[in-house]
Amino acid sequence: MASDQIFVGVEIGTTKISVLVAEARSDEQISILGVGETPSRGVRKGEIVDMETATECVREAILDAEDKTNVEIGNVWVAISGAHLASFNNRGTLVLPEERQIEPEDLEAVEINAKEVSLPPQNTFLHTILQAYHVDGNRNVIDPLESEGMQIEADFHIVHGIKTRIHNTLRCIESLKLGIEDVVLSSLASAQVVLNQDQKNYGALMIDIGGGTTDYLVYIDGAVRHSGVLAVGGDHITQDISVGLRLPIARAELLKVQEGSALDPSGGEGGIITLKNDPGFLGCDVDRSALDTIIHLRVREIFEIIRRDIDSSGEGMMDLIRGVMITGGCSRLRGLASIAEDVFEIPVELTRARNVSGATQIFEDPRFSTAIGLTKYARIITRNMRRETVLDRIARRFGGLGGILGRRGR
Amino acid sequence: MNPSIVVAGVGNSGVALLDILALGRPDLKDLLAVNNDEESLRASVAHVRIGMPEGDPSDGFLAIDGAFGEALEGAGTLILCGGLGGVTGSFLMPALAAHAKASGRVVLACAGIPFSFEGKERRTRALAALGKLRSLSDAVAVIDNDRFAAGSAVTSSVGEAFRLADGFLVSSVLSLRSMIGTSGPVRISRNDIQAVLGPSGGGTYCSFGSAVGDNRLHEALEKSLAGPLLLKGGKASSLREAERVLLLLEGGNDISFAEVQTVVAEIERIVPAGCQIRTGVAAQGPAGSPLSLSLFVSVTSPVGNDHPEKTGAEASSGNSGRRETLSPEPKASAEESAVSSKPVSLGAKGTRSSQAKPVPKPSTSKATQGTFDLVTNQRGRFDKSEPTIIGGEDLDVPTFLRKGVKLPVPPRR
Repeated sequence: MASDQIFVGVEIGTTKISVLVAEARSDEQISILGVGETPSRGVRKGEIVDMETATECVREAILDAEDKTNVEIGNVWVAISGAHLASFNNRGTLVLPEERQIEPEDLEAVEINAKEVSLPPQNTFLHTILQAYHVDGNRNVIDPLESEGMQIEADFHIVHGIKTRIHNTLRCIESLKLGIEDVVLSSLASAQVVLNQDQKNYGALMIDIGGGTTDYLVYIDGAVRHSGVLAVGGDHITQDISVGLRLPIARAELLKVQEGSALDPSGGEGGIITLKNDPGFLGCDVDRSALDTIIHLRVREIFEIIRRDIDSSGEGMMDLIRGVMITGGCSRLRGLASIAEDVFEIPVELTRARNVSGATQIFEDPRFSTAIGLTKYARIITRNMRRETVLDRIARRFGGLGGILGRRGR
Repeated sequence: MNPSIVVAGVGNSGVALLDILALGRPDLKDLLAVNNDEESLRASVAHVRIGMPEGDPSDGFLAIDGAFGEALEGAGTLILCGGLGGVTGSFLMPALAAHAKASGRVVLACAGIPFSFEGKERRTRALAALGKLRSLSDAVAVIDNDRFAAGSAVTSSVGEAFRLADGFLVSSVLSLRSMIGTSGPVRISRNDIQAVLGPSGGGTYCSFGSAVGDNRLHEALEKSLAGPLLLKGGKASSLREAERVLLLLEGGNDISFAEVQTVVAEIERIVPAGCQIRTGVAAQGPAGSPLSLSLFVSVTSPVGNDHPEKTGAEASSGNSGRRETLSPEPKASAEESAVSSKPVSLGAKGTRSSQAKPVPKPSTSKATQGTFDLVTNQRGRFDKSEPTIIGGEDLDVPTFLRKGVKLPVPPRR
């Protein structure tokens, strides 16, 4: 690798594998050097189901990125998604034997205390994301280190998932002789470049609609309050079109991209879309209102499921003052924001990575939000974290996958 | 005692199973323990206990004949459970089955076959008794303990392996009881049970899974498909060779149509073409109850074929011959009920006296035009994916189909 200030983010998605290379700038921002990309195979709903094929695709994407950026890739930050990931909020408490200055070990003990919950036996911790400290009843202390106190409490957002499925992603990367810096929840990575600090502070919901999954994350008061993964994405819309209009998958995908709209077709003009014949496809006429009905019902359902999940988590839509930010490849679907506004009843904006520089065609493409976000996340973590040896990191990963990095991943 | 279904635990193993049943399901009030071990009966929590004198079991059985008849008074179905291989269970289970059958009752049995390490003699006796029991019962669910050795139980402690085997026997009893006793909404008929577990069936294997929460169906399905009795050599599932499958979904009144549809589709994906799947749904509990999935799988090779020893009893009872004489399929409606209500006539030695030789039927087949199955696969490209089920709905099925929205049809070109 050229220097410590170059970060590589790998997103093994359901439709594409992206390897994004970025460089840290002196003004705390990142500059994109280039992206390697290859269509994804062996991945379903965000999870690897064919290790050999998926590994080959990752290898192609890595080589593509190396060619385009002239950077030899050695260590990567990896995004992870899938329906097996789950999250909850928990509070850790530590009572000191006497009033004294709070030390780093005390904060680590509070975090360990918060993680003392019963996970399903096959699961492991992915992130323990700090929300707020409370010292002797003094709520929302930003940095309790070196202040005096007896009772330290800390709220965490804890993300966990099935160990073997997380390890599959790790094995895929490690088999290419690449080092893994850390594994990051996809939505947490995306949020680093999609949301600005103001949106994180005042409350916002970030939704990343990809091919196989829809990942979402709620920020309130500058901290992650809720996250979720729905194993439904753009591929489902394509599938619905294919079944409903009896079209081959490839034609259904093209129709979705070129003509599809998520708007309720009941008030529309309708009409006929003529699909020209191709080798192996005879061509046909498609009713536009049928196409839009199929897309509208699926998109509305995705948003309604997310709304129900957030409502049941205890976070209210009224707390999301800065509204909903939608990104991901599927966010380019026409009419998406209108449906989202209807469901969430707060302002909605279609967005992509911000506050990054470099090749504009990359960061203006919402498909790369997660990969870009990984490099921004890496920038934040490496700036904040104390120096660790590689062995420390590996030991930590096997003990709980990203504990310390996750804690600081705000 | 006037229950419609009596569960009888026979021998030491059967009495112990009744205790497990009673602890797990205190609502069961129809438990009958039969044994020649006074101590075991004294400790039993069964509601009715019949002690048989020690010594020759055939003499002992004569002594309890009357008491057993009284215990069954008013009952329409007897479910026998216990381990075969011991002297008492191997004799008593077939004898009690014959008694109940002769009085016109439906007889179902859940029988355990001992591990090989318990001795060749014990296993041989068990297989001989199983042959008799099959010929005298309407249906027998067999738990062949040696199948556990192929699965994860191989690394378990011996005690754990026995507990696992007991758990499967208890689950079998409860599943059969639910199948016979449930009011639906989708019932499994006695003929369905007989088709899979009856004397005409080959080897039968079972598996069970239960889960709660949003992903309950997937978890229950995953557990039951990974069941050690379904695995052959720890790898391929017996489902891949299944001729018939009996599937019972049991839970609260919130079992959704999509859940039933998904579970059947998942099983259909594994079983070979032509396998018949009988599905029952018992949705009587409150919403949010655990979802339990029971699978009984019938394959062509009978239980015990994994092992070279073939018992004389198996051969003399003519298991292979029966397969040819009995119709493999339950017949249609009126004929079906007539067959099921007719008591089976037994010969002096407890084997079927009629239908000894198959009479070839004249060919009545007519040339008919074939039809294509034009049913669309609703899960399409996600057919081989882990289903995404939320709120009881399979999200891999297009939304417009689940909501029943009719799409406008474009004019033809």
